[in-house]
Amino acid sequence: MEISTLIFSITIFPGLLFMVSLAFLTQYLVRKLSARYQRRMGPSYVGPFGLLQPLFDFLKLLRVKEIVKTKYSMIRAAEFSLILGIAFIISSTILLPLSPYNVAGEFDILVFFYMTSIMPIFMLIIAALTTPNPYTNIGVSRLLSVLTIAEPAYFASLVVPVYLATRGKTPFMSISNTYIYVPNLWLQASTLVIMLLSTLAYIISVQVKAMFPPFNIPEAEQEIIAGFETEFSGPILALARLLHDLDLTIALIVGVYVLLGGPAPFRHFSVNGAIVLIIKYTILLLAVVTVKNIMGRYRIEQALTQIFKYGLIPALLSSIFALVIYH
Amino acid sequence: MVYGCYSMKNTVILSPYEVVYVTTLVTGFIVLLLITIYYALRSRRIRNTSVYLSGEPESVVSSITPSIASLYWGFIKKFAKSLYKVLVERVHTGSLHDWYKFLSSWFSLLLIIAIIAFILTSLIG
Repeated sequence: MEISTLIFSITIFPGLLFMVSLAFLTQYLVRKLSARYQRRMGPSYVGPFGLLQPLFDFLKLLRVKEIVKTKYSMIRAAEFSLILGIAFIISSTILLPLSPYNVAGEFDILVFFYMTSIMPIFMLIIAALTTPNPYTNIGVSRLLSVLTIAEPAYFASLVVPVYLATRGKTPFMSISNTYIYVPNLWLQASTLVIMLLSTLAYIISVQVKAMFPPFNIPEAEQEIIAGFETEFSGPILALARLLHDLDLTIALIVGVYVLLGGPAPFRHFSVNGAIVLIIKYTILLLAVVTVKNIMGRYRIEQALTQIFKYGLIPALLSSIFALVIYH
Repeated sequence: MVYGCYSMKNTVILSPYEVVYVTTLVTGFIVLLLITIYYALRSRRIRNTSVYLSGEPESVVSSITPSIASLYWGFIKKFAKSLYKVLVERVHTGSLHDWYKFLSSWFSLLLIIAIIAFILTSLIG
């Protein structure tokens, strides 16, 4: 394939421009749906139906607001960490079948996981620690505590369907190869239970990764001001918010492909396929927003227990079932 | 059964190492692009202030490093509750008899294990 296709893929679709736009749209939907759950209006004034509110919030933070700096702050390090985190998420899109220049290989799910789950969180933590504050430190320690249990659950919830779908096929453990065979996993009785357990673990772990209630402990306003982002301001806060939204967006996209079969039963780059992708993305987002709005915040020890019960145990069970049945 | 008319014609299949190289190069390219856009657009205004501590001075956090003993008891009370319960209800009851009974029972067990290990070692060589 041509280099121009690669450049188009990483800068326009589904790279930088598309991902940032989708992240803003996702933020808009989260805010609007949450507002409707709470009988509020939500974003309404900027753009049609308030659609451009997240973009204008971002631009205002980036271009107008000032960076508030203390003598301990390392602003450049914070900026670079957050940019690196964003870059990892955006560049991971070439591993998705959505990309016109799709790169695949055996075990590319591991590369994808590293780029979209480990590095962004790691970069967010580094950025938080470069602006030291007692509240920041507590927020980071809470974030690390919940992620210690949630990340393995997230990993298992994605790896198990990929393993089952690509067993005996080439390339093995590849996202591009997975979505084609995922619908079969939902239709077979032996793999249906595994898929249900993986989906449950996925929903819970995405809730934790997005730091939405009941797991918004790392940024609990009433307890620790803003947690890990207490000292973020202006352009740095804009980058941190964008990184958070991109993290949620890429988690939902991979969920659509690995758990729900992408555009199935239609093909990629067709109108029907695009509509199905949008519907599946919205369903997953709606599930996450619904849990966000019907739950109150847990205390840290309660949260750890709940993530263990409803995230890690289903993920472990699905892994064990998959190994017992198919190894 | 495979649904729809799937094809992997847009897909370049590489070895795992090549996938890592390509994604790393793409990440580097995106970083350069983002840095250019970010520094062209960002606000230049910087305000120096003190650390946010809910209105308190910095002195309140200048020596808050917890002691090792506090960390130990924090761990025991929060995460090893059953062990803490045993310590409080069976060992440190205030009666020296209880303390002696608890310790001697465990020491006796250890002694028996040591004797058995000694005998086995002597017999087997």
